[in-house]
Amino acid sequence: MSVSLAKGGNVSLSKEEPGLARVLIGLGWDVRMSDGADFDLDASAFLLGQDGRVRGDADFVFYNNLKGGDGSVEHTGDNRTGEGDGDDEALKVVLPRVPAAVAKIAVAVTIHEGEARRQSFGMVSNAFIRVVNDETGREIARYDLTEDASTETAMIFGEVYRHQGEWKFRAVGQGYRGGLGPLARNYGVDVG
Amino acid sequence: MAVSLSKGGNVSLSKEAPGLKAVQVGLGWDTRVTDGSGFDLDASVFLLDAAGRVRSDADFIFYNNRQGAGGAVEHLGDNLTGEGAGDDEVVKVSLDRLPAEIAKLSFAVTIHEAEARRQNFGQVSNAFIRVVNADGGTEIARYDLSEDASTETAMIFGELYCHGDEWKFKAIGQGFAGGLGPLARSFGVNV
Repeated sequence: MSVSLAKGGNVSLSKEEPGLARVLIGLGWDVRMSDGADFDLDASAFLLGQDGRVRGDADFVFYNNLKGGDGSVEHTGDNRTGEGDGDDEALKVVLPRVPAAVAKIAVAVTIHEGEARRQSFGMVSNAFIRVVNDETGREIARYDLTEDASTETAMIFGEVYRHQGEWKFRAVGQGYRGGLGPLARNYGVDVG
Repeated sequence: MAVSLSKGGNVSLSKEAPGLKAVQVGLGWDTRVTDGSGFDLDASVFLLDAAGRVRSDADFIFYNNRQGAGGAVEHLGDNLTGEGAGDDEVVKVSLDRLPAEIAKLSFAVTIHEAEARRQNFGQVSNAFIRVVNADGGTEIARYDLSEDASTETAMIFGELYCHGDEWKFKAIGQGFAGGLGPLARSFGVNV
């Protein structure tokens, strides 16, 4: 049974799932049935220091940089259409191996060329992002992008963060104007 | 005042109009006709279950099957000229009489004999879909389809759907290049 998180709510991963070491952030959606450009959703993670910024570009894990944080965060690869059941893209996090300097991992979901293609999450069927205990497969939290981020093209889903020796997850669910480039720059990534 | 939706957006009709029992969904458009060839656009409704499919072909409501779900859905007919700013076709939905299995109603507009007449939505402008409270006639929500479609011959204008215990309306505006056939088949209708 998932903890149903309201925006801004947080849950202690350590308490909900004692001994939890591996977390999976799953992104899924349906292939487009109607006419027009495919819906290409992308999951990305930003490994942030106490200052809320990345230490370097290697801390931005996305479809062009599949591993970060000394291998503690791994992206399973770019799915450009939503083909396949279940999670179409995933970020796997091994909590004990996250570098000590990383205080927080921000997870975002963006629509590739969303503004140019004039696509928003509401146009995509069954788009969701979720946090799962990767050891048991139990879902901890889920966000319905189609329903609740309907007019957005980019969204900060949530943050996995350290708090007094525990790992916690906070649901953010905030839309972001402009797409992945501006979002990454916001975290200090040097976007070309 | 009516909520004006952008593509992909949704609104809770239950919140906008508490106690809502029945709605009239109006669809309208202008066609650019430069010579004498007629344009016959038809509105249809697909009554869908939680899996997004019709229960049977009877759940495909159109000009030759104007009543569905035991009368809870009524297509008011194909008898308007399409001139002026009003609704070209209207579907009345009694929300309180819809069977519990119906989770969503998808409103589509198709061009009759589009392939034969070589017509497509690129020749259609000022298309809109609106939801009006059947009790009193107030417009609750509206979506003006602003993007130019080009090669499509069938288009889903919007959806009326149940979310939790609310009725909501979502602006779709997405087309199907193959026309009514592929559209209907995607909903499980035997075409």
